[in-house]
Amino acid sequence: MSELLANLALGFQVAANPFNVGFCLLGALVGTLVGVLPGIGTVATVAMLLPITFGLPPVGALIMLAGIYYGAQYGGSTTSVLVNIPGEATSVITCLDGHQMARQGRAGAALSIAAIGSFFAGCVATVLVAALGGPLTGLALLFGPAEYFSLMVLGLIFAVVLAKGSVLKSIAMVLTGLLLSMVGSDLETGAGRMTFDIAELSDGIGFTNVAMGLFGFAEIIRNLEMSQESRDIVKGKISGLMPTRQDLIDSSGAIARGTILGSILGILPGGGAVVASFAAYTFEKRISKHPERFGRGEIRGVAAPESANNAAAQTSFIPLLTLGIPPNAVMALMVGAMTIHGIVPGPQVMTKQPELFWGMIASMWLGNLMLIIINLPLVGVWVSLLRVPYRLLYPSIIVFCCIGIYSINNSPTDVVIAAIFGLFGYWLVKHDFEPAPLVLAFVLGPLMEENLRRAMLIARGDATVFVTRPISAGLIAISTFLLVLAMLPMIRKRREEVFVE
Amino acid sequence: MSDGAKSGIGFQFKVKGPRDFYGGLALIALAIIAILASTELPGQHGFAFGPGTAPRLFAGLLAACGALVALTGLLVEGEPIGHFAVKGPSFVLVGILLFAGMIRGINLEWLHIPVNVPSLGLVISTFFAFMVSILGSSEFRWVESLLAAAGMTAFCVGLFTYLLQLPFQLWPMF
Repeated sequence: MSELLANLALGFQVAANPFNVGFCLLGALVGTLVGVLPGIGTVATVAMLLPITFGLPPVGALIMLAGIYYGAQYGGSTTSVLVNIPGEATSVITCLDGHQMARQGRAGAALSIAAIGSFFAGCVATVLVAALGGPLTGLALLFGPAEYFSLMVLGLIFAVVLAKGSVLKSIAMVLTGLLLSMVGSDLETGAGRMTFDIAELSDGIGFTNVAMGLFGFAEIIRNLEMSQESRDIVKGKISGLMPTRQDLIDSSGAIARGTILGSILGILPGGGAVVASFAAYTFEKRISKHPERFGRGEIRGVAAPESANNAAAQTSFIPLLTLGIPPNAVMALMVGAMTIHGIVPGPQVMTKQPELFWGMIASMWLGNLMLIIINLPLVGVWVSLLRVPYRLLYPSIIVFCCIGIYSINNSPTDVVIAAIFGLFGYWLVKHDFEPAPLVLAFVLGPLMEENLRRAMLIARGDATVFVTRPISAGLIAISTFLLVLAMLPMIRKRREEVFVE
Repeated sequence: MSDGAKSGIGFQFKVKGPRDFYGGLALIALAIIAILASTELPGQHGFAFGPGTAPRLFAGLLAACGALVALTGLLVEGEPIGHFAVKGPSFVLVGILLFAGMIRGINLEWLHIPVNVPSLGLVISTFFAFMVSILGSSEFRWVESLLAAAGMTAFCVGLFTYLLQLPFQLWPMF
């Protein structure tokens, strides 16, 4: 306990450095901006801003990128409540009750409860990251190649189970992602694989290109299709930003439950903030004594998902920082950012660079505090941003993405690859294939193959090693169980229900 | 698991879920390309995986999965393929490709295509990419777009070259 406090003290010392406070604030502001603006997601933004962090010190760069991720969770709720368009995928569910509340003239209460819930969740998650960091790092030492492989299988299965739509199609996406990740030089022999003798492919397909294509360009192409109907922004001054006593009492339980659920779903690989918000809403509705109130401006329907997505955004750092495994696409980009600065994500971060590890954790709490302070008074500013028409916004995003991709390697080919993935992403959506499992598989692919090969070599070609080593066997058992569960027709119907809502 | 036979049936009977059916077929095609591209890679050697083992393994699994998806589409009632827009995506893609071609120049004469663009630099590339992609909008307006393009170009130059000091070539180089 005293060690934890000492570590946190070190963290706050790092985070309180004026430069780092500045980066944290900048990240939180950019994140809020991105969260508020519909049509541009966190993955694309973090990918876009990677080159910007080149020149920064590593701690500052990571603090800023983390700020973008959780800042976006705050911003997304603003758009959901006021415009009934989710600013961020994680706030889709907040539209239901949040916008109804706004129509009833309670926009202020909805926004403040969302912010308070997010802040509470952020605080709990920060403590959780700090407390779990140590023990999980210890656990990582017990992991051999077989265990790592099984853990990643579990992560991918989670991504499949938690993705919406058909399980079979999600599995197909995982396999596509794994296959795409193998393009390029072989890790051990250096043989060019599936490169079609194109020199630019010998290094493999860059993750930022894939992410930017599937989440940036594809999203824009798809948005262009929809009629740009005038946005129904709640008119009039938003008054009563302070929630009433009754609001606070009503939502306190929902905030607590949302935080717990979000924290758990954030840690699990394949989960993340989107799933957390859906799960929290569904759970809240199910245990409510008045489920009929949901969708009609129930404050719990705002509090629970908004707490959950923020908690999940933060706890998803746990697997990255302790095991070195990114649980979702944003964390995969964090790996990229760390690699640029010469940091190998994993258990050694905590021991070798304690100031980075604890500084980042402390900055999360600081960032959440800043967000709640800057966000509520600035609501007016964010709303005015929503009046920028999409027809001017999307070419700006495209140009920004192009420059961002190009500047990472000074390679025009990367831009072309991203464009191809943009088109591919558009096709995927048209055929109801989910890009999220593909991206996670693409990220985990090289790690998975490396550990699979190593495990097989150590076991002298005996594939049973994955079920004879206890930890690995346990992980495989959970994966199988989950997969079978998801395939069962009854559960499948439930899942569909959840996503339809 | 031959997909040929299945598509044969598909032409005789009505495909019930075209979205899944053609999606599955495309995945099979992707898997076949991957298998063809990795045939020459050495495979398992003793206990060790060769570079070709994993790609072939996953491509095989993908083909099987694609076949199952296609089969579902064939037999289970599903949705038709959604409408693919042409205008928006085309302008956006051309805008992106223009950026890629102009920023450092491009020479396609080796492909017998008479295209040889000199390196045009950040300013011109950004401006043109913006203008072309904005043409894809159904609410395009000239004056507003030109102003926005100029503004965005100035912003990007300011941010990337002056503030972040990234080594960009700003103006054309012949």
